Amino acid sequence: MSFEWPWQYNFPPFFTLQPNVDTRQKQLAAWCSLALSYCRHHKLYTLDVLEAQESPVFNNKKIERKLSMEAIQVVFEELRKKGKFIPFIWNLEWLDKNKSRCLVMWRRPEEWGKLMYQWVSREDLIFMISVSRNGMVNAVFTLYELSNGDDTEGEEFHGLEEWMLLRSLQALQAEGKAEIITMDDGKGVKFF
Amino acid sequence: MHRRGVGAGAIAKKKLAEASISTLLDICIFCKVELALMSCSSLFIQAKYKERGTVIAEDQIAQMSKQLETFKSNLEEFASKHKQEIRKNSQFRVQFQEMCATIGVDPLASGKGFWSEMLGVGDFYYELGVQIIEVCLALKHRNGGLITLDELHHRVLKGRGKYAQDVSQDDLMRAIKKLKVMGNGFGMIPVGGSYLVQSVPAELNMDHTVVLQLAEKKGYVTVSEIKDGLKWERERACHVLDHLLKEGLAWLDSQAAGEPQYWLPALFSELTSRDVSPEEANQMTP
Repeated sequence: MSFEWPWQYNFPPFFTLQPNVDTRQKQLAAWCSLALSYCRHHKLYTLDVLEAQESPVFNNKKIERKLSMEAIQVVFEELRKKGKFIPFIWNLEWLDKNKSRCLVMWRRPEEWGKLMYQWVSREDLIFMISVSRNGMVNAVFTLYELSNGDDTEGEEFHGLEEWMLLRSLQALQAEGKAEIITMDDGKGVKFF
Repeated sequence: MHRRGVGAGAIAKKKLAEASISTLLDICIFCKVELALMSCSSLFIQAKYKERGTVIAEDQIAQMSKQLETFKSNLEEFASKHKQEIRKNSQFRVQFQEMCATIGVDPLASGKGFWSEMLGVGDFYYELGVQIIEVCLALKHRNGGLITLDELHHRVLKGRGKYAQDVSQDDLMRAIKKLKVMGNGFGMIPVGGSYLVQSVPAELNMDHTVVLQLAEKKGYVTVSEIKDGLKWERERACHVLDHLLKEGLAWLDSQAAGEPQYWLPALFSELTSRDVSPEEANQMTP
């Protein structure tokens, strides 16, 4: 499925930060929404502002307009603030003080955890799962298996970056649905 | 005070003076009578005319009320016969409206009364008015409250569905005129061969209107285009453009080659056919 650009993407002034406060607010809301859906579509989890500048999302070659680095930072900052005020919708975290790299959470760790738990609980996976005495799901995976294994191919969380994978599992752990364990060759997880 | 005695000479003089005064008075009186007579006769003539006039006028009024009565009953008959047609056919509606206008009747003046009851014409336009407001509100976040009549038409038709009565741009304009009653929010700005419909109470004067007209073809306008096209001073052009930015009607593009361009989403042709996506709708609520 090809990515569908919003109408603003072809509207030249969209790439200039607007002087009017109200208009700018609309503009930033549209940018946040575009940046997130672009990341979701291309499964991007970590963004580098310098690299982002050259990415098609912030650089429309057809109309020869691009969002400046400062403007990209404003958009990202807006995304971060939004997550703070509307929890569980989306979020963004800066990785450094200079705000040159960031983590984008177009899906919350809790939601990722839920998706993984649903996958583990599927019936056709039962052969991999030993059912514990109280009848609960009980399965062990390495982190690599979960994000890059053949079994998860085609699942949405396939290819999830490790930092996000860990956070999702931590969220599950907090709910008592999983436990992160140390295995010989790294980390693993036990689902309950 | 002591009065001096009066001499014979003085008496003679006085007599003469008195005589001449009385002659003068006589003449005056004669003239007056003459004048009075004249005005009397003219009054008489006037009265005659008036009398005659009244008779004629009465005749005419009687005749006219008779005509009007016939006309009204004919129109009622026509209306009830063609009610469906008026509601369904937009061409027909235009002609009906024009016919009403020539006799000085506004079928939309009130929701009650003969016209709306007979024809449902009022209902038709009130319904349309609501649909117009809906479309304008739904797109306000995009265009700042300015929309081309074409786009509005397209969207209203879409909203009404396939089986609703056809709606012409003439209908839209009539409905918008009625919306003006609710305040100074709604207005129409002529641009090119069509109109821009304004749904927010932004203060737009002639200068703004002319600049909008200039921007109509390309969707944007620049300071030098205004200077060249309208022979304005730079300050005047900047002033108008700043105002359009301030009202949220224009967006600034500072990456354009040469000089900044001022874009009007309402005139951005690529936007006309785009529906509001759910994501876009979400952005509207901050």
